[in-house]
Amino acid sequence: MVLVLALGDLHIPHRAADLPPKFKSMLVPGKIQHIICTGNLCIKEVQDYLKSLCPDLHIARGEYDEETRYPETKTLTIGQFKLGLCHGHQVIPWGDLDSLAMLQRQLDVDILVTGHTHQFTAYKHEGGVVINPGSATGAYSSITYDVNPSFVLMDIDGLRVVVYVYELIDGEVKVDKIDFKKTTATTHSAH
Amino acid sequence: MLKGKKLKLPDRLGSLVVGFDDKDEDSGGSDSVLESGEELEIIQPNGFGSGRESETDDDGEIEEDAMVKRKAKVDGELEQKGRQRHEKDGWGHVLVMKIIETDEKRSDIEYEISQKEVNLEKLQRIASTGLPDGGGLRATVWKLLLGFLPPSRDLWEKELTENRQKYSKLKEELLLTPSELARIKEEALHSTEHNADVDTDGPLTRQKISHEDHPLSLGKASVWHQYFEHTEIAEQIDRDLQRTHPEMKFFSGESSFSRKHREAMRNILLLFSKLNPAIRYVQGMNEVLAPLYYVFSTDIDEQNASNAEADSFSCFVRLMSDSVDHFCQQLDNSSVGILSTLSRLAELLKANDEELWRHLEFTSKVKPQYYAFRWITLLLTQEFNLQSILRIWDSLLSNPFGVQDMLLRVCCAMLLCVKSRLLSGDFAANLKLLQHYPDINIEHLLLVARDLSPDTSSYRLSL
Repeated sequence: MVLVLALGDLHIPHRAADLPPKFKSMLVPGKIQHIICTGNLCIKEVQDYLKSLCPDLHIARGEYDEETRYPETKTLTIGQFKLGLCHGHQVIPWGDLDSLAMLQRQLDVDILVTGHTHQFTAYKHEGGVVINPGSATGAYSSITYDVNPSFVLMDIDGLRVVVYVYELIDGEVKVDKIDFKKTTATTHSAH
Repeated sequence: MLKGKKLKLPDRLGSLVVGFDDKDEDSGGSDSVLESGEELEIIQPNGFGSGRESETDDDGEIEEDAMVKRKAKVDGELEQKGRQRHEKDGWGHVLVMKIIETDEKRSDIEYEISQKEVNLEKLQRIASTGLPDGGGLRATVWKLLLGFLPPSRDLWEKELTENRQKYSKLKEELLLTPSELARIKEEALHSTEHNADVDTDGPLTRQKISHEDHPLSLGKASVWHQYFEHTEIAEQIDRDLQRTHPEMKFFSGESSFSRKHREAMRNILLLFSKLNPAIRYVQGMNEVLAPLYYVFSTDIDEQNASNAEADSFSCFVRLMSDSVDHFCQQLDNSSVGILSTLSRLAELLKANDEELWRHLEFTSKVKPQYYAFRWITLLLTQEFNLQSILRIWDSLLSNPFGVQDMLLRVCCAMLLCVKSRLLSGDFAANLKLLQHYPDINIEHLLLVARDLSPDTSSYRLSL
């Protein structure tokens, strides 16, 4: 049972002051084993805060991040799953499924986590899963102002991953669940 | 009479006989032992309790007499032939005697436990003189003494399997992670439905869930929240287990062997803490569990050894049920709490050796709270090495008046055995001595404990 927090596009301090208090109260240290962050934090203080939640922190570079040394893409293996991380502004058209699938094949991962659109999506596409955790602060995006704060928590347990989607809608936290089982065929289809 | 003489011998034979030397307390110790030699005559032939057991004690008496006769023979030889040359002979004789003694005890015990209806009283009496190591006898006898195995042998098989099944069920219920639980629940619900979107691409279906079903839930009823609360306890247990008996390969080190044992003990302690939310886990419980688990795992019977975890759990629960009140902070000042037990220890000391009591309480102001807390709550597991603990526990578990009664006696005996050092020490020296209790001869300690005048401040209703 490995808990992985996926979030990003916070845009602190330029577009948002902080995470919503209801989210902050839920995010306590000691429960989460890994954090993957799609980028656009934008300042070091946010990185320090995330580090305090969990020491294993992975960040991909977003176009507004002040820290220039984050990588453009990152891959990591957690349990039986390979995860890929990228901010997403590099993939054009933004949010296009086929283009993201290309990136997924390039990185050779089971689950690709990207951001930039500030909209939560979760797609099964060509044998892999593409997840966009949205914006954890609800900051406006290059496309729209209508953004609900959201983030994603993945529970990786053997060949099964349960994705918990946390959204702040009308001031209330709503939690949804998505189940995804990996069949061993998925890894071989890329070859 | 005969026993008394035997104990006078240490002055001459003391340096020769294995284990009889090096008592910290020569004059004081043997004095108190000699004085109570008189009491011994009355109590010993009849065992504990009233005189009704004299008929059944034939085996015990014969054994004692034979032993003493052999001893007398040895003495005679020594006196005749002069000291120097025959020190070696004397030693040799005594060692052989010890081996014969142990073998006889072993066959006695085997006889007892092979009976259809085990005579618990007899077993208690033999066990209080110490159980032989190896051969798995100790494991079986302890299980009988703790009431885990019933006296009728026919029921053993049934009892053991039932118990082991119950334990694995408990483990399944309480020790699973929430994600495993959720998975099992879902598989049960959706076992007939086929997972439709295995092959189709497209947006993944979302299911709404309640406020308690997600990992970050802070609700009290949430499985996840409870799980994370218990991880703190689990971490504490892990830390303590790393420090249990660091000198023994059985418990410490990174071999898969010791890891397996620590894992088993971890399960037991976690389960115990979940089933007892009032006291949860307290540092030190790992030490109380260690001897039990060690004895049961080193049973030569294969089946018993592989089920040591389940058996140790049940016996640990039984053992703790006696002293569980000591761990509960709210009960500290009540009549069943630790403070009352400590004052009973002080009373016992006063009844047996007022001079020492006065010196400790008033002159050096060393109150039982400062040293005996750990002795009592952890059943002396922190004061001695594992071998000695096993021997002491033989006596504790075989006391017909209960573990706590004998425990207080042993604590009192520990004080008496270092009497002269205590009398000449001040607060700091005494505290240091008692908190790092020196090595002494365990048999002597237990003898002193047995001979103390009984604890009259509480009336045991076991009769």
